[in-house]
Formats: sequence, structure tokens, C-alpha cells
Amino acid sequence: MQYLGAFSGNSPVIKRYKASATGYVPGIIMAASVAGASGQMSTSTTTAVTDTIGILLDNGNLQGASVLYSTTQGSEEAVFGVIVNPDAIIRAQMVTGATGTAVTAETVTTAASNGLTITATGAANFTSPEKDEGTVWYTSGANVGKSRKITSTAATVITVIVPFAANAVGDTFLSSGAAIGLRFVTTTTDLLKLRTDAINTSGAALAVIDLELNGTADSYAHLTYQDCVWNYTT
Amino acid sequence: MAELLLKKQWTRHTYLADQEVGGKKAGRAAGGWVSDLAAQKKVITLCQHCTHKFNPARVNYRKEKEFPVCQAKCDGCSTFDPYCSLYIADDLYTQVRSTAEERRALARSRETRIKQGFL
Repeated sequence: MQYLGAFSGNSPVIKRYKASATGYVPGIIMAASVAGASGQMSTSTTTAVTDTIGILLDNGNLQGASVLYSTTQGSEEAVFGVIVNPDAIIRAQMVTGATGTAVTAETVTTAASNGLTITATGAANFTSPEKDEGTVWYTSGANVGKSRKITSTAATVITVIVPFAANAVGDTFLSSGAAIGLRFVTTTTDLLKLRTDAINTSGAALAVIDLELNGTADSYAHLTYQDCVWNYTT
Repeated sequence: MAELLLKKQWTRHTYLADQEVGGKKAGRAAGGWVSDLAAQKKVITLCQHCTHKFNPARVNYRKEKEFPVCQAKCDGCSTFDPYCSLYIADDLYTQVRSTAEERRALARSRETRIKQGFL
């Protein structure tokens, strides 16, 4: 994930915090450590960013090798830089799957002249995970570059209320559970990207404030923290 | 002129202060400390008084220009300053920062691809 800016327009506030474990990678969102943890920050998980403290900027590489968190006496303490602005705007690439491959492109199999439905093959399954209230956008055909909010789904059909132009068999499109104003996302296992094939009613508390709807490998979501430790914490 | 080199006498207080992390160790020259940070590809923040002494290109660092300043503790003089310069290791930069320049290029590419009929 990338630091994009802040709602307030303020300059980034950077702090150095103590790590609680190994495996930190620049670009992941860090959370405050729980009571009893060895350090001051821990990684988020794919479906939880409770008590967010900020986005990690480095992981202490030493000539190619990471400075590892260690509990051995005499070892260097793992202290890494974090941008801690609570109103940060974070940019994350949208991908498919836990490992983060390109967003799955679907192909229109039944034309809809009214532009209200998009029908794909049986393999698509827009209800599992549920993409209702998410976003759909075309990547080829008469509607290339156009997007709509999804208002209902069936296994192979996406329905919208604001019509597209008539589509045609063979047009390609992408869809995501993410949409403006939704407050939950799921990240890839490496915690660096946003999964489009995940439900949007639970998961990591990051709200979507904008979408860059491009192709399968260069679409992004802009996110903001919903559970930041510097604000009121639930 | 001859110079007496004496082993430093550590008190418990100065020893503990030296072990404290998150900043330059007691008695450590700022230049060496910043070089160590650069070798570890850690983010470097330098205040207005210290920033001109650091050459980011020499250690493959990039100065953050979209945000001219950041609020941080200076790695040179260990003072919190709301007008620090931010330096990020070049190979980590795109992993942690998105710039307007990059997004502008993507928008231009999008426009071109739409004209060609596919995204």
C-alpha cells in the first residue's frame, strides 16, 4: 500500500516504533500492539486493522537483509518508521485472490440492450463472495471505462440501476466488492493489496473513499482508517 | 601536540541512555548514524539545519518532493521539527508512496487505452 496524502492536507508525521515480531514489510498498515506484546506495533491482518497506528515505511534492510526482530540479548532492536497521520489516505492496488493476482476479467455472454444487466459465464458467481453494493466497470466494448454501482446480484448476473449503453457478447468487464463509502475490505496475505473477490460487509476496517478503475493490473482503491488508535478507539 | 586518549567512563545513566533506541546513540557522530540508517534503507528525516549535509543520490535515496516537509525527529540533531525533509530508499519508494506524477501517467495511459477500445 502507498501513502497518498491526508484529508487535512497536513504534512506526514513520522515516528519510529518498536516492532513486536518478524515479517514486517514496507507498505503494510500497522496496528498498536496488544497488552503484553514485546514491541509497540504489530501487523494488521487480512481482515482486521484494529487500533491502526499508520503505514510502515521501512523494515530496516541491512545491505539486502532485513534487520530482524529479535529477543536475544545484545541484538539490535527492530525500530521502523511509520507515517502516523490518523486521517491518512492510503492507496492499494485491487487484485483477485489471497496471493494478489490480476483482477479477474469476465466476459459478457448475453447482450442486454437496456444496459441494466451484465451476464457472464457460470464460473463468475457474483454472489459468492457477494458483490452487491460493489462496483462494476467495463474494460472493452461500447462501455469501456464506464462504471456503475452494483445494486443486486445473481450467480452470473450483475444488475445496476443507472443503465450503461447496450452491451454486446464478448465485452469484458471487471467487478469488485469495494465501493465508495463501504467500510470493510479484505487484503491479500502479504497485506499489501486489496482483494476485489471479498465480501464488503465485514473485514478490515478501512473505508473506500475513491477508486481508480483501470485494467486488470492497474486499478486502485483509496482507503482511510476506520479504527485508528489516535482517535476514539472501539 | 600530544593528545591523551582516555577510555570513556560510563555511568549507569549514560549507559542506559546509550542503549535507548529510536535515535542517535550518545556520543555518536550524526554523519555515521545517518549512514547506518541509509545502509539499512530506513526512512531518514532531517531538519532544515541538517538536511543540506545529506546527499540522497549518493546512497540511493529519494527526497520526498510532493510533501516538502514532514513532522519528525531529525536523525541528525535528534530534535523534533515540523519542517523536516523526508528521504526514502529509492527501491522502497514506489512501495510506500504514490505520487501525482505516477497517477498522472496512469491517467494518460487510461485515456489512450480507452481510445483504443480496451482498458
